[in-house]
Amino acid sequence: MERVAIRINGVLRKFIIGEEEGCVKPEETLLQTLRDRLNLTGTKEGCNHGACGNCTVIMNGDAVASCMILTADCDGAEVTTIEGLENPRTGELNTLQQAFVDHSAFQCGFCTPGIVMSAQALLNQNPEPDHEEIMEALSGNYCRCISHYQVATAVEDAIQRMKEER
Amino acid sequence: MKHFEHVNAASFEEAGRMIKESRGTAQAMAGGSDLLGVYKDNLLKTYPETVINLKQIPGSSQIQAAEGCVSIGANSKLTKVAADAAVKENCQALAEAAHSVASPLIRNIGTIGGNICQDVRCWYYRYPDSVGDTLDCKRKGGKTCYAINGENRYHSVFGGMSCGGSACAKACPAGTDIAGYMAQLRKGDWDGAARTIMKYNPMPMMTSRICPHTCQSDCNQTVYGDSVNVHGVERSLGDYILAHADQYYAAPSPEQETGKKAAIIGAGPGGLSAAFYLRKAGHSVTIFDQMEKAGGVLQYGIPHYRLPKTIVDAYVDALRKMGVEFRLGTQVGRDITVEEIEKSYDTIYFGTGAWKQPVLGLEGENLTEFGLNFLVEVNTYLKRAIGNEVLVCGGGNVAMDVALTAVRLGAKSVKLVCLEREQEMPASAEEVARAKEEGVVLYNGWGLGKVVTDETGKAAGLEAKRCLSVYDEAHHFAPVYDEADRQVIQADTIILATGQRVDLDFLGESFASQIRSERGLIEADAESYQTKKHGVYAGGDAVTGPNVAIRAIAAGRTAAAGMNRDLGTGAAADCAEGKLQEQVKTVTKEQPDPFLHFDPVGVDAAAANKLKEVPLGVRSLTKEDAETFDMETALKEAGRCMNCGCYAVSPSDISPVLVMADAQIVTTERVIPAADLFTKELTVQHILAPGELVKEIQVPKQKGITHYDKKRVRDAIDFAIVSLASRFEVEDGVIREARIVFGGVAPVPYRMEQVEALLAGKAVTQELAQEAAELAVKDATPMGKNEYKLYMMKDLLCTAILRAGL
Repeated sequence: MERVAIRINGVLRKFIIGEEEGCVKPEETLLQTLRDRLNLTGTKEGCNHGACGNCTVIMNGDAVASCMILTADCDGAEVTTIEGLENPRTGELNTLQQAFVDHSAFQCGFCTPGIVMSAQALLNQNPEPDHEEIMEALSGNYCRCISHYQVATAVEDAIQRMKEER
Repeated sequence: MKHFEHVNAASFEEAGRMIKESRGTAQAMAGGSDLLGVYKDNLLKTYPETVINLKQIPGSSQIQAAEGCVSIGANSKLTKVAADAAVKENCQALAEAAHSVASPLIRNIGTIGGNICQDVRCWYYRYPDSVGDTLDCKRKGGKTCYAINGENRYHSVFGGMSCGGSACAKACPAGTDIAGYMAQLRKGDWDGAARTIMKYNPMPMMTSRICPHTCQSDCNQTVYGDSVNVHGVERSLGDYILAHADQYYAAPSPEQETGKKAAIIGAGPGGLSAAFYLRKAGHSVTIFDQMEKAGGVLQYGIPHYRLPKTIVDAYVDALRKMGVEFRLGTQVGRDITVEEIEKSYDTIYFGTGAWKQPVLGLEGENLTEFGLNFLVEVNTYLKRAIGNEVLVCGGGNVAMDVALTAVRLGAKSVKLVCLEREQEMPASAEEVARAKEEGVVLYNGWGLGKVVTDETGKAAGLEAKRCLSVYDEAHHFAPVYDEADRQVIQADTIILATGQRVDLDFLGESFASQIRSERGLIEADAESYQTKKHGVYAGGDAVTGPNVAIRAIAAGRTAAAGMNRDLGTGAAADCAEGKLQEQVKTVTKEQPDPFLHFDPVGVDAAAANKLKEVPLGVRSLTKEDAETFDMETALKEAGRCMNCGCYAVSPSDISPVLVMADAQIVTTERVIPAADLFTKELTVQHILAPGELVKEIQVPKQKGITHYDKKRVRDAIDFAIVSLASRFEVEDGVIREARIVFGGVAPVPYRMEQVEALLAGKAVTQELAQEAAELAVKDATPMGKNEYKLYMMKDLLCTAILRAGL
């Protein structure tokens, strides 16, 4: 029986891949596993084709579209979702999330978890990106409410705040 | 998503083995960002039962720099390829191309191996199942390419590519490359078109007039209006061939003479076809026929008004001039035995047809006439006494010929009775319509009861009985009658055109027993037309029972190819063997343009050009009913041919760069140059064997500057509308060597050697860039809504050239 172990927001989750009740089906996407199985519904399903970025999570350090990944393919992976950013004990938002709130970097908010995760992956890899690099990193995340300007401001402010925190 | 099994492969070789052993039910998945989309949208007809994950294969995502080359593992993520120092060092364009793919979210999933094997992005191909239905387009094995007459702004500007052959060629019993000769005609190349059609059929001047033209029923123009008038165009081409008979029926030169002797029994369409191809190969050919004139049914069965005998005679004459010997008025079995022929000839073809009257066992059958004999008589003497009230029995094309001939002989009334309902009649719909137009009264759904006589014992009519159904559930002929429901159809002349039989008595029992089938036909292999007796071939009605001429012509052709091979002289048979196969289109020096083209204005015409017909009332027994198109109209009609193929463009950003860079693709089985893998056929999957997987990509260190430039709608996510992979070696402002490969403009990455040649040795100037840009689009054939791509191409090329000169 095929088993996969995925560390999701710091917790090791083990799944059995199979057809039986309770098993993860081979065709189940990581997005489905997160939302439907683990109730991590912060990750959103948008286009379901990897084109909108709503389902972005961080996997092994990179921002990825979780709708285009099979859970069965994720053995040994480390995954962070929007729920994994806040302080697990206090519920306090992380710096980037707080910057989004402070700058009202969203309207309807549907795309926001994806955008935050793309930005977070960037900041993890490159703590001081320039404007170009931010735009590039967020180029796979679409927002229909045109929150892009506020998003850019929020990310740039988060960079400053994180610099001060260091 | 449909269910599948999931397996992790430990190596590419293991994955390949699993795929091979699965016999098409397993599929390899690299990154998955393309394949999962295909699965989710339910795009394909078949789904894998097993998906084999390649991502776990150890060491498969390494990028290694070696001397003069960088090796990229197939599982390397595009993000990694884009950022890798060795990749940038060896080939900047590849890093740029990888970086240009989709968005970071996809580049973090997608691999370079998956990218070059990805499926096409055509919006018809990708039309999701959830919105209406998926479209069964040409590329998926369906009939048509919707982009030809549809929305084609993102499609090819250099033509399409053959994809499973075209519907017309498939429907033609001879597999004629109809779209091929139509394309040549559109270029004004009548000679090339003539040579193309004659590879399949040496007598298009006849088939164009008599063939039921099944090629037209599946024509994709019927989606929008009339089918292409294939027979109209074919007729012009056939007449052109006959008008230039010296050229197309040239006798073989003395050096080509093989000294081998072929005998052909029966001068019908099959025999005349075999004779042409055998003679062309240099064999000496003798045709035996019991009739006074050659042509078989073409001469004696088909009425003059459909096929003027001058045409049959001209074709026969052309064969005679090629050196074919005709021994007419010679009945094999009586004047010469088969054994004698066998002794004097190296190979024999039987095309003796089906001429015998079947006995129906009808009461009063002796008072009826046999339809074929009736036609032979009229065709021979061009006149004949005809009764006042004629009744023709039968629903096929022979019955239609008999009925119309009777009308034109002056019968007061002509009726036709047949078992089938009108739409079920075996005769072609056009023929039925013509019969009705000329006043033939149809009695559909009636079977033959008995002949009714008057007091003098002459035929006075036919008692018909109601036919309830003609075929059983398996579509076998099994008529069911209502014996009680009867009517008498009055007639003083009753002509039976209810089929013909094959008569093999002429063979003599000892010979016949060697080649006869259980059904009393000649038994010949359906592919090769070889009989069980070595060196003896047969085809046409004698093998199949009554059928259409083009089938006999195809049999004669295929048999001739086999006979030629058997004769072992090494002579080439200048004909297509078997049916038209999917043509492999390759860019070579000899064939610089491997693509299919159509005329975007021409294909928009929904109405076909129709042959000018003699008006009703003036039609006669002898004068041909329709006139051949003038050449201009023929070309116009050829312009309606869509040249069906796939007109989508290859979606990969990576493959044009690999072609530009002379990369080598290492698979589980071999090393393939990028140009061979990406440009020779429509898809990579056509080149790779089942289970053959891409393992590694080796990119040689590029001399000079390489870049990948891309035009698209949005700077993220979107595929290239036009892209350009370029390499320039520039010294003191002079281009020493250039490599130009466009993406997004053709079904495969398109290298422009003529532009490269122009640029080599020239100083970079604005004028040179302009000249190169114009040359790049010179041979473009935009599809109607994508001409703008040419401006993008020019812009990309100009910019790249000028940048190289900085």
